[in-house]
Formats: sequence, C-alpha cells, structure tokens
Amino acid sequence: MTSQNLQKVDHSILKTNQLFIIGLSVLAFIFDQKYLVAFVALVMGIGSILKTPGFGIIYKSILKPSGWMKPDVLDDNPEPHRFSQIVGFVFLTAGSTALFLGSSVLGWILTWIVIALASLNAFGGFCVGCMVYYWLARLNVPGFGKQPPAGIFPGMKPKASANV
Amino acid sequence: MSTEILLRLVLAIVIVGFGIFAYWCVNQRLLLKAQNNALSLFSKLPDKPAIVYFTTPDCVPCKTIQRPALNKLSNLMGDKLEVVEIDATQRPDLAKQWGVMSVPTTFLLDARGNARFVNNGVARMEKLMEQLQTL
Repeated sequence: MTSQNLQKVDHSILKTNQLFIIGLSVLAFIFDQKYLVAFVALVMGIGSILKTPGFGIIYKSILKPSGWMKPDVLDDNPEPHRFSQIVGFVFLTAGSTALFLGSSVLGWILTWIVIALASLNAFGGFCVGCMVYYWLARLNVPGFGKQPPAGIFPGMKPKASANV
Repeated sequence: MSTEILLRLVLAIVIVGFGIFAYWCVNQRLLLKAQNNALSLFSKLPDKPAIVYFTTPDCVPCKTIQRPALNKLSNLMGDKLEVVEIDATQRPDLAKQWGVMSVPTTFLLDARGNARFVNNGVARMEKLMEQLQTL
C-alpha cells in the first residue's frame, strides 16, 4: 500500500462488460450454443488487445448516452482489470475449444467458472483476476507492477473517488 | 429439444441460486463474526445503537465522506448513538477479527450488541439513518 499513480477508471464500463459476459454465457448454456461462448471469448480477446473492456462499446455507444447507466469513476488501476479480462478470455477460449472438441462437461465447467467470477465482480465488487494480479505484483513478477489502492484489500472495488 | 432447454434452464437457475445463497452465507458469517466480537469491543454494552467504523489514516473517502457523515449523524442523534472508530492500521487484530477487507467499513449494532448491518465501503448519512431506524 505505497504511494501510487492511480487513474480514473469508470467501473460502469467494467460492470457492463461483466453483465454481458454473464448474460450471454448463461444463454449459451441454456440453449447449448458453443458458438455463443466462442463469440464472447472473441469479444474479450479483442478487448484485451485493444486494452478496453470487450463489451464496453455497448456502454459507450448506448447505455451511457441514453442515461441508462451512469458513470462510476473511481481512482483505481486499469491494469488488473485488463489482466482479469485476459484470464476470462483464456478460460472461455479453453471452454469453447473443449465444447467444439465434444468435451461438453469440461467446456461448460470452464464457462461457469467465468460466469461465477464475473458475477462476484459485478455483484460483490470483488475481482479475483485483480487479486491474482496484485499477488503477482507482490512476488515481483515482471509486468505486474501496480499496488492496490491504499486501504483496499487486493481485488476489492475501491468504494469512492478521492475527488468526491 | 425444448425439454433439454428447460432442463438446462433449471440447472442454470439452481447454479445461480447456489451462488446467491453462498454470497448470503458469507454476509451472514461477517455479521455473526461482528456479533461475537461486539462484546469484546465494549467493556459494557452501551444500551443504545452503535456504529463500529473501521478506517485508516490514508483512506481519503473516509476523511471526505465517511467521517463527516458519521459526525453529522452523531450531532443529530446526540447521546442516542455510540460511534466507535477503529484505525485498522493500529488495530489489525480487530480488523481481522471483524473480517474487514476494505475501508471504510461500518457495522451497525443494536442496543443489545447484535450486529444488524454491515456496509463495505462508504455509507452515506441517509443510508446509515435508514438502517438505524430499523434497529
């Protein structure tokens, strides 16, 4: 918990991303649509490359302008959230690969792990991928340099902006 | 085909329900922990509602939002409310005992020392007031 350069992170865009991941993955399970799982993985992959939440475009182009979702800007590190999306992408890619190869139990277990972790983040405010990021930072793993915001348990959502 | 979809829907509901139940259990456990620790925090129960407030010196929202809200509430309720402030850096043992993972965290105890609400993060005065009214 050292002094750090936190950035303004809009948690509404992260939440939108999580809600779409949860919703589409659950629909994929109910309707047994492995293509939908692959699509969600693809969007997350593109988002990871562009360093933005995959489904964030829906927030930026529809939800925010229409006022259906309000910005929730907090002082936070964006890197752990990007890492978290990469982890989700890897899990969903593995899941959809398993589904295409006929191993449906493994495929759906991996998909449900992503649903569970995204739900914990969206509804519980706890980002497991971010916690793993901060653990790796503590172990001085190259590329993982950020510390959690002061007074916040690694992975927990910062609760209010410093500028409020 | 539709039977299979129905079965999958039921399974999805069961899994989601299990998740919600697990989350509820975690919150209940946190309240139970707080309840067990309330007696050790007060030498004698204050016989009035109490707010146990965990903070740290470098917690900015604690200074800008949480403390002013608690001060306002204290002024408003006078001696009908006890506010106990705990610096989690000075008392990490207490923060651990109470299961505090981030600051600010506020626990609301009723007059008998039962933990009734926990707010992980900033709780504004209106919310605290609403919670106090149900105690």
